[in-house]
Amino acid sequence: MKMNAYALSDEEIRIIHNDSLQILEEVGVRIPVEKALELLEAGGAKIDWEKKNVSIPREMVAKALDITPKEFTLGARNPEFDFAMPSSYTAFTLDGAGANVIDYRTGKRREAVLQDVADAARVFEEVELGKVLWSPVVPYDVPGGPCGILNTATSFMNSSKHVQDEVKTLDEVQYVIEIAKAILGSEEEVIKRKIYSATYCTVAPLCHDEEMLEATMELTKYKAPVLILPMPACGSTGPASLYSNIAVANAEALSAITVFQLMTPGTPLIFGAALGIINMRNGIFLEGAMETALQLSAMGQMGKYYGMPTIIAGCLTDAKELGMQADIEKVMTCLPLVLGGVDAVNGAGLIESSMTMSFEQMLIDGEIGLMCNRMSAGIEVSDEKNFFMDIKEVGPGGHFLKRKNTRTAVRSSEFFTPELANRSTYSEWLKLGSPSMFSEAHKKVEKILSGELKNPLSPSTEKVIKEIMEEAKAKLR
Amino acid sequence: MADLYDEMRNSVLEGDEELAIELAEKVLTEKGNAMMAMNEGFLNGIQEAGRLFEDGEYFLPDLIFAADALKSALRVLDSELKKNEGESVKSKKIVLATVQGDIHDIGKTIVGTMMTANGYEVHDLGADVKNEEIIRAVKEIKPEIVGLSALLTTTMEEQKNIITMLEEEGIRNTVKVIVGGAPVNQNWADKIKADGYSDNAISAVKLADELTA
Repeated sequence: MKMNAYALSDEEIRIIHNDSLQILEEVGVRIPVEKALELLEAGGAKIDWEKKNVSIPREMVAKALDITPKEFTLGARNPEFDFAMPSSYTAFTLDGAGANVIDYRTGKRREAVLQDVADAARVFEEVELGKVLWSPVVPYDVPGGPCGILNTATSFMNSSKHVQDEVKTLDEVQYVIEIAKAILGSEEEVIKRKIYSATYCTVAPLCHDEEMLEATMELTKYKAPVLILPMPACGSTGPASLYSNIAVANAEALSAITVFQLMTPGTPLIFGAALGIINMRNGIFLEGAMETALQLSAMGQMGKYYGMPTIIAGCLTDAKELGMQADIEKVMTCLPLVLGGVDAVNGAGLIESSMTMSFEQMLIDGEIGLMCNRMSAGIEVSDEKNFFMDIKEVGPGGHFLKRKNTRTAVRSSEFFTPELANRSTYSEWLKLGSPSMFSEAHKKVEKILSGELKNPLSPSTEKVIKEIMEEAKAKLR
Repeated sequence: MADLYDEMRNSVLEGDEELAIELAEKVLTEKGNAMMAMNEGFLNGIQEAGRLFEDGEYFLPDLIFAADALKSALRVLDSELKKNEGESVKSKKIVLATVQGDIHDIGKTIVGTMMTANGYEVHDLGADVKNEEIIRAVKEIKPEIVGLSALLTTTMEEQKNIITMLEEEGIRNTVKVIVGGAPVNQNWADKIKADGYSDNAISAVKLADELTA
């Protein structure tokens, strides 16, 4: 069977679901967007117009969940990279909004620039499990207004995979659609192929951001998938038990689902989560904590309970540098999600509580992901894998190296061979120059970034996208 | 009296807001010395809380409880304390805000708490505060320091804009500007000519102390 790990029992999932409904009914959420409030009121919700607080009855939530698509495909510019959800394996996405990079040339941490967004896309293109590209840093060398559009355009120009980002203002939506249209040719194709999706963060506890909600609601008109990311922090922006913090995060997610389904019935949504705990000494959000991993794992289950595609934050660390703490925390926050069968994990490539990107780490995380997926695939106990005849024919003593089954198995998914981890003998390893996982990853980063750009846009499309970038620079403040 | 001062100190240290109010009211009804109650009682509590925090024994919630107990006692004794102005130790004032377009206020609130715990008079304007409002507060409150928080890379530019506005209003040299928030760093602070940057609440207090020394 597949190897599974779950944080919640079926009964506990139902309890939390009901807790979230109770929160939505009795406490409500703050939604500072008139259009959303009107839709909610028409749907039967009770509105406090002055406070912009909404009590959402459970029937409305049920109705929204009912019409939320259970499956769809995140299209990629290169259809080879299309990502259908639900997925039989757990893919990786980059996580957005870091501020720094560890420069692969100097090994030093510095502020991120737009070229890093381009380079990140190129490295991500070669991450086997990488399916969804969210530009992982916000560059310092471009102004804030057009920054989101420049990031999105740069991602599309340097990677042929599905691109995901935030739409922070209403103005940005048209630019994003124009970029997608430039690539796909028509609005109809944009709606059909879904090569762009947006992340949408609710604001804990139980609030929505005015501009981002307005913009994301507008984006659903194009049926662009929206990844809903609640992120209450246990004890600061959320209650101080993992259980109740999950209930708040889930309530936030349900409120977003309800709003988006009222806006555009049947619009594709992805159930996400980036909740966690904080360091109670300095207030810093802790991503690499086991309590964070537990909550994320539970939220993955909630998403599956609702039958929705799931992309959950994972493979995270609070380490300030690459190395032992980073890798331990990343494995511990990745494995449970993969064993829980979420469709994708977002967090690859970032360290320092997702503030700093490292290309080498991105490749190492890609390998962590493959290891976790192999673990999740489990042990196949089947007639096909029952090699009793081999056992009988070899008998006591002897060996299995000269069995046809063995020869076939070494090239099958029965055995996973890592690319970066070293499995040589000691002398072989010395001869190779004593490589570490990091040095192997570094070599690969250099090779990717010194090589040709893979899967480039056609020159004419690139020209149009560059024009859109120029317009964004001139018009978005 | 010593026992009563100890009780006051402990009410803040334990973060017992009701008790702090009760003890402060007692000072008024019994015509006690409000200034002594503050200096010998309540303020000792907040200082001790700050010390325990530095020692790693107190956590953020403990500090927030303590700071709120102190603020409540202050509110009760406010008018009485003002009568004796002149002989009072004037506390330094700080205006805090999360900049416009940014609704994240936890970090700034923690800084406010630490500042209160260290004897600053904190004027917390909240989150998503319009630039004009911050300028107005600087003019009206005349703080020694204004602290600007931004969690988003897209909103940190407002820190720069506010400094420009302070310059345009001709009041830039009346106040020290300190900046913070996840994407902010020393480099950015230098670039926008802020007076200081800190990446956590404890060093923010040290920074404020240095800037106002």
